[in-house]
Amino acid sequence: MLKIIATRVIEAFIALLLMSIVIFLLSRLTGDPIALLLGDGATDADKIAMAQELGLDRPLPVQYLNFLGNALTGDFGQSVTAGKQPALDLVLSRLPASLSLAGVALIFTLIIGIVFGVLASVTRNSPIDVAARLIALVGQSVPSFWLGIVLMYIFAVQLRLLPTSGYGRPEHYILPAATLGLFTLAAITRLVRSSMLEALGSEYIKLARVKGLSESIVIWKHALANSLIPVITFMGTFFAVMITGAVIVETVFSWPGIGRLAYESILSRDFPVVQTVVLVITSLFIIANLLVDILYIVVDPRMRSRG
Amino acid sequence: MNKPITGPVRRAAFALLCGVALTLAPVMPAWAQSDDLIVALSTFSEETMTPWGGSGQRKTYLDVVYEYLTYMDPETLETVPGLAESWEMSPDGTTWTFNLRRGVQFSGGYGEMTSEDVAYSIARLIREDSRAGPASPMRRAIASVETPDAYTVVVNLNFPDFELAQGYFGAGQQLGVVSKKHFDTLGEADAEPTPIGTGAYELGSITPGSEIVMTLRDDVADHWRVSPEFENIVFKVVPEESTRVAMLRTGEADIAPIGFDSIPTVRDAGLDIVSAQATWSPVVRFGGLIQTAENRYNPDNPWAIREVRQALNYAVDKQTIIDELFQGEGTVASADTPVPAWLDVEPYPYDPDRARELLAETGYPDGFDITIRTFTTAPGAELPLMAEAVALYWQDIGVNASIEPVDWPSLRTEWTEGRANNYVWTHRGFPFASAANGLEAGFMAASLFASFTSPELEAMIQSFSDEGDLDARSQKFTEIGQYLRDEAAAVFIALANEPYGVSTKVDQWKITTAYVWNFDQVSRAD
Repeated sequence: MLKIIATRVIEAFIALLLMSIVIFLLSRLTGDPIALLLGDGATDADKIAMAQELGLDRPLPVQYLNFLGNALTGDFGQSVTAGKQPALDLVLSRLPASLSLAGVALIFTLIIGIVFGVLASVTRNSPIDVAARLIALVGQSVPSFWLGIVLMYIFAVQLRLLPTSGYGRPEHYILPAATLGLFTLAAITRLVRSSMLEALGSEYIKLARVKGLSESIVIWKHALANSLIPVITFMGTFFAVMITGAVIVETVFSWPGIGRLAYESILSRDFPVVQTVVLVITSLFIIANLLVDILYIVVDPRMRSRG
Repeated sequence: MNKPITGPVRRAAFALLCGVALTLAPVMPAWAQSDDLIVALSTFSEETMTPWGGSGQRKTYLDVVYEYLTYMDPETLETVPGLAESWEMSPDGTTWTFNLRRGVQFSGGYGEMTSEDVAYSIARLIREDSRAGPASPMRRAIASVETPDAYTVVVNLNFPDFELAQGYFGAGQQLGVVSKKHFDTLGEADAEPTPIGTGAYELGSITPGSEIVMTLRDDVADHWRVSPEFENIVFKVVPEESTRVAMLRTGEADIAPIGFDSIPTVRDAGLDIVSAQATWSPVVRFGGLIQTAENRYNPDNPWAIREVRQALNYAVDKQTIIDELFQGEGTVASADTPVPAWLDVEPYPYDPDRARELLAETGYPDGFDITIRTFTTAPGAELPLMAEAVALYWQDIGVNASIEPVDWPSLRTEWTEGRANNYVWTHRGFPFASAANGLEAGFMAASLFASFTSPELEAMIQSFSDEGDLDARSQKFTEIGQYLRDEAAAVFIALANEPYGVSTKVDQWKITTAYVWNFDQVSRAD
C-alpha cells in the first residue's frame, strides 16, 4: 500500500506542476486586471505604473518562475483586487463552505442513490424501478441552474418551508445540496442498479440463497457489498464534480464557496486568486482520488494482493 | 431471476427514505423574521473596507460608515455641507479651503475628526497603490494639502477644478474620511479590515463572500446627519437576480436591485419599486473614433463618417426599446451620460427614411456589415437584448449587424490597448464626478477610456476646463453636449433608471441620481 501511496504522491506533484503551467497561461489569454483596476480617465502612464506595481510588465516565463518559486514556499501571491489579501488565505477562507456543501450533498446522494439503486434492481421493471430510472434520467439531464431556481420557487417562495439562499444554518444546506447532488444521485442510482443486477445474477448470490440466508442478508450484505466497488471507484470523481459544479449552485444560492470565488476572480482577472483556486481544487481532486485508492484496497481484497 | 423485495428490505429502505424526508421537513422560518434592514446586493465588489481599497460599488455598504465633506440634497440636488460646514474656492479655481464641522466623533473611541484625518484620507486615496476609481485623475489634480489648524483643510490643485466640492470631494465619489489615529495605532494591515468612520454605523461582523453586518453605534446618541431606525443593516451578496426577487417575496430581503423584467413580479407580490432616476445610460459606442490619436482612429470604418453615425442613430426606435426592454423606466437619450445640463439637447428621432437617405448620400445605399460586441453587467443585464434590437433596426436600413457576446473584462482590455477597433459595442454611461473630468475621461485622447475625440471637441473641452465664470462654463458645457449629439459620438439609447424592490418593512427610502447609497436613512414601516 505504501508503494501505491508513494507513486500517487509523485504523480500528484507532476499533475500540480502541469496544472500550474496550464492555468498560468490560460488565465492570461483574455487580458489582465489592469484595464479593470484603472479608473476612468486613466492614462498610458497610469497603465504602465500599474503593470509595474503588479509585476505584469515582466516576461511571462519570469512571471511564472516567480510564481512557482513563491508557491513552493507557500506564498501564492496577493489578490490584486481584494485589498492585497494573500490569495491562499482568501481561498482557504472560502474552502470550508464548499467542502461542507459538497460533503452534505455527497452523503445525501450516496444514501439516497444506493437505496434507489438497490430498490430498482430488486424490483426490476416495477414502478419503483421505472421511477428510479426516471429520476436518474432527469437528474442527468436537468441543468442545475434551472433546477435550483425551480426548487427555490417551490420550497422557499410558494411553500415557505426553506430559505431561498444564505449560509450558516442547517436549513441553508438543503436546497443547494439537493441541487448539487441530483446529477450525482442519478449517476449513483444507475451505477448501483446495474452493479446489483449483475451481482444478483451471479453464482455466489445463488449459493447464498441455496444456503438459506435471508433475502435481506443476501441483498444488503452480499450483493450490495460487491456492487459498491464501482461506486467507490467513482467517488473521487463525484466529489470533484461537486466542487467544480458548485460554481452555478453557489451563485444561485449565494453560497460563499470557492466556486463563486473562482468565477468572480476570473471576471476580475485576479491571477493570483485564480491560480490558487485551481491548484487547491486540483489538490482536492488528487487527495480525493488517493483516498479512493486506499479505500478501494481496503474494500477489495484482490487489490491488496496486487499491491 | 430477481426475487420480489421482502419485508425487512422494504422496511429498511422505507426507514432510510423517511430519515431523508424528515430532514427536508418544515423548519421554523426564522430567516424571514429579522428585525434588521436586509439589503441584498448583486456584488460586494472587492469586499474591502477602506475608501481606497477598490471601486465605488463598495459604497453601498461603506457609506453607512464613512462620511463625506459635502452631500447632495435629494430634493434640490444642491450641494450641501457634510463634514465640511463651508468651503471657498479661489477665483482661479486652483485653491479650495474647507472648514470642518466640529465635534464629529469617529467610532471605536478614535476621537474627534480633524483636518489631519481629512488630509490623511486624501493622501491615502490618491496614493499610487490606491484602487479607488478616481485615484489617478485626483492624483494629477492635487498638488498639496495643508492643515493650517485642526478644522481647516486647504487643497492646492495643479490646474483649476471648479467643481471639486461637489465632484471628487462629494458623497457621490470615494473620499470617505477615515481616522488617521486608527491607522497610526494599528498599522495599515490591521486597520484596513476594520473600518472606522464618522457615520452612524460601524462594522458588526463579516462573513466573507456572504454577509456584512453594520451595527448602529452606541456612542452616538444624536448623530449630526442621520437618525437611523434600524439597529443593524445586513448586507447580503446575492449575485443571481431571480434569487434577490425570491428573497424580496419571502421577506428575506427588504431592499434589492432588480432587473426591469422583474418589476411586474415584484409589484404583483405587493411590494414597492423605488427607482433611482436616470442613473445610467445604455449606449452603442463606435470603435476607432479617437480622431486625435493616429493609432486609435480608423478612417476606413463606415462610421468614421459623421452622417453614417447619424443614420445609425435615426434608424433605432429608442422609445420602443425603453418600453419593451426597460419597462418604460427611462427616457430617450441625446447623450451617452446622464447629465442634467444636456437634458435640453434634442435626441435623434426615429426616422428610418432619413437614415436611408443619409446612407445613400454617404455612398452606402446598400448598407454595410458591422459587428456589435455586447456583454452583461449590473446594471446592464439588458445590453445583449438591446444589441439584438439595435441590430434588427439597422437591418431595416440595410446595415447587416452580427452580434458577438463577450465578457466585459476582455472588452475593457481591448478598449484600452491603444488601437483602432473595427467594431461597435454596447456600453453604459454613468454620471460624471465632475463635468471637466468626465469630459476629459470620455472625450480626450489622453484618456485610455476615450470613445470619441476630434480636434474641435478637445479644444472645446479645454476652453471649458479653463473657464472660471460659472455662467460661461454652463454655456460651454451645453455646447459640448450639442456637439456630441450632432457628431453622433455614439448611438444614444436611453437615460435609464435603476429599479429596486422594497419590502413592506420599509416606509420611506428616497434615492437620487448621484447618491443612492443612503441605507442609513431608510425609515421603518409600522
